[in-house]
Amino acid sequence: MSQTQMMKGILDGCLLAIIRGKEVYGYEMTERLSDYGFGEVSEGTIYPLLMRMQREGLVTSVKKESTAGPKRKYYSLTDKGHKELEEFLARWKRLEKSVNNAIRQETNEGSEGSG
Amino acid sequence: MRGAKAVDNLSKESRRFLDDLRLYLFSSGKNEAEIGEIAEELEVHFAEAEKNGKPIEQIVGESPKEYMEMISKEMKVDTKAWLKYIPLIIFGAISFSVIAQLVDDLRLNFSYVFLGGTVVISIIFILLVFGVFKYTASRQVSKTKELLMIMIPSFLNIALFGALIFWDMFYTLPGIQLGVTASIITGGIVLLFLIGFSFWAKTAILPVILAALHIPELLLRLTSLEVSARLIIGMIITYIVIGLYLYYTFKKLKKEETASA
Repeated sequence: MSQTQMMKGILDGCLLAIIRGKEVYGYEMTERLSDYGFGEVSEGTIYPLLMRMQREGLVTSVKKESTAGPKRKYYSLTDKGHKELEEFLARWKRLEKSVNNAIRQETNEGSEGSG
Repeated sequence: MRGAKAVDNLSKESRRFLDDLRLYLFSSGKNEAEIGEIAEELEVHFAEAEKNGKPIEQIVGESPKEYMEMISKEMKVDTKAWLKYIPLIIFGAISFSVIAQLVDDLRLNFSYVFLGGTVVISIIFILLVFGVFKYTASRQVSKTKELLMIMIPSFLNIALFGALIFWDMFYTLPGIQLGVTASIITGGIVLLFLIGFSFWAKTAILPVILAALHIPELLLRLTSLEVSARLIIGMIITYIVIGLYLYYTFKKLKKEETASA
């Protein structure tokens, strides 16, 4: 699946929301994303996003031992991350409303013939 | 490639991708600690994904190259490390001629053309090698093809150095000439550097090649053999020693690989 800027922005928002709940590590995030229907997004996509979010100070990470294999890196939201999530939600609500309006009106009228 | 604490049961494909990713990021001049960090995080992911029967494409997508680029874009170039590597490699190149000259005659004599040429050729070599690494790592070409491609900059390097040495030999060029004492001090500094480098890089390749080049010749000088016989025997011993060392290193690497697979 091609990664457009919009898709990345949306994934950013979803990741922030997932991380808000409790500390999570990468694999867990992708499982949740796929449960929510993002199954077509390649799982690795989240890591560059997490790297950027960490650089921008939206998330922090700690490494913790796991029962099997190397340490997992758990992420949590910073204050800045919480703020960013709120802004994303507001942006998303506006966008969702506009898209729904546009689709509803245009498809109703559009089916009766265009022009 | 140095791996952190490895997951024992990672598939060959995943391990290969991680090695290639490390090489790609390193050749792109990224920070080593950061490279280790992301590689380790992905290793955890691969291990769990494999346990759940997911193919690697589901993680990195259809194009490993695009995925590597995506990660690379989020990392800054580690200029500090580069400022360390480049002088190291240039110094390494010059140290070979320092040792060769000292063994020959205990007096160092370098033209500016030779010193400048060494710097330029070394930089061209580094850039080409890293370019090839980036190419082979991101396209995940076979080991044979990788080896063949790495030979391009290697041969070019040898050719350029050969040309430089001939230029230096057949024309009297202005340069630096050191007396015996200054030459020996310089040689001592170079030796210290080589030892330090070998410990730092955890490889004995430079001292082994230097020893293989010069020790047989020095020993053969003590014999009553003719010059031509000495040269030929010296060269054969040099090749055998270097060959044996590479064979030994290769076998050791293979062992480690099978032990971690």
